[in-house]
Amino acid sequence: MLTATMKRYVACALILLFATAGIQASANAAMIGTDQVAQEATVENQRAELQTLFAREDVADQLSAMGVDPAEAQERVAGLSDAEVAQLHGQMEDLPAGAGALGTIALVLLILILLDIAGATDIFPRV
Amino acid sequence: MFPYLPKAGNCTWRLRHVPFFILLLLLTGCAATPQTDALLSSESGPEDKEELQSVPFFPQEDYQCGPAALATLLADSGLNVTPDELVPKVYVPERKGSFQVEMLAAARGYGRIPYEIAPELTAVIDEVSAGNPVLVLQNLGPDWFPQWHYAVVVGYDMTQGEFILRSGEIERRETSFKVFENTWRRSKFWGFVLLEPGELPATGSEKPYFLAVSTYMEHAPESDVLKALQAGLRRWPDSKYLLMAVGNLYAQQQKLPEAASAFERVIEVAPDYAPAHNNLAWVLGEQGQVAKAKQHASQAVKLGGRNLPQYKLTLEALNKLKVPDSHRSTNNKE
Repeated sequence: MLTATMKRYVACALILLFATAGIQASANAAMIGTDQVAQEATVENQRAELQTLFAREDVADQLSAMGVDPAEAQERVAGLSDAEVAQLHGQMEDLPAGAGALGTIALVLLILILLDIAGATDIFPRV
Repeated sequence: MFPYLPKAGNCTWRLRHVPFFILLLLLTGCAATPQTDALLSSESGPEDKEELQSVPFFPQEDYQCGPAALATLLADSGLNVTPDELVPKVYVPERKGSFQVEMLAAARGYGRIPYEIAPELTAVIDEVSAGNPVLVLQNLGPDWFPQWHYAVVVGYDMTQGEFILRSGEIERRETSFKVFENTWRRSKFWGFVLLEPGELPATGSEKPYFLAVSTYMEHAPESDVLKALQAGLRRWPDSKYLLMAVGNLYAQQQKLPEAASAFERVIEVAPDYAPAHNNLAWVLGEQGQVAKAKQHASQAVKLGGRNLPQYKLTLEALNKLKVPDSHRSTNNKE
């Protein structure tokens, strides 16, 4: 079993490998790529650039911790841009997650609390 | 202490009611809806009403309004997609919902370009009246009890002052402009339409369109990317971003003269844009026009900026090209 730290080293090595392979493949590494143009075009994307190389892996791990199938999680993260990964990274507890209609239990609870606050009921002694 | 309250006497009575007012404020959100006001008071408003009746409806199951709303848009754009197949792509079980960026990424995975519209009710109306349903994120609850919800705007009625949405389990949910503005504002007016490569949004501007395409291009076939960029250039012919992207794409395909003319065009519209000088220098160098290439490389270095190391690299590489290259023109002695 690889530990998390080891996984990170392997990932890092792989990333470096691919990155250098990319440079060798395209002789014109000094050309300003469209991704760089896009990074310059927005503040948001510039922030994304500052994120560590590991943000992607973190987001994938978090997604599977939140019940997404690990293989699916990898695939989902692969489809995200750097800026999008940066938006999710470390924010997944707090970001809006569109869910839909109010759950029945939550709704009932809310009404009960409101009734309590209004003084019509007294279910919750501390309210 | 409370200059805005009437004098004494009443004061205690009124202060006693302050918590109730606060509660009321919390409950109602009590927010102004300037966009709605402007929309309803404007004389030269949009068409009276529109409803895109052909937009399919997928009733949401459980908390899965994300997959349902996204399937609505994808199916409307001609793809055979159901919410079920989107669940593993956008749903997060523990959050019982879907993240915005994952909705965008999933749409791209189906070969569509999600374009985030401007944060305006009029943008929603203009897109719908052009035939594009708009997927929006609303917060149906108050700020302190958020109920995030994805829905699809498929119509509007100016005389009634309402939108028509495919929402949750309701096929035709009528929501007044005012309520919609309140619920939509809480997501910072977040919404998008889907574009087939080559299709443009009815609203919008050059930079967000470029950004949408540049994110899309990371996993898309070059032919589709080129279609999208060229469509953008038909509407915004002077967009330095789109021109740069087209130039880079041509350079990648070794269509060097086309690439060079795209970069030259950028320099025409933005003479001080260093990346264009740098990239032009590269493609000119590759074509053996070393002298001209060096001029542009030096210009890029002179202009500087955050990519300066790359500009220097370009200039160095060109300086090393003194010996004529057998692959290039033979008598080119610099």
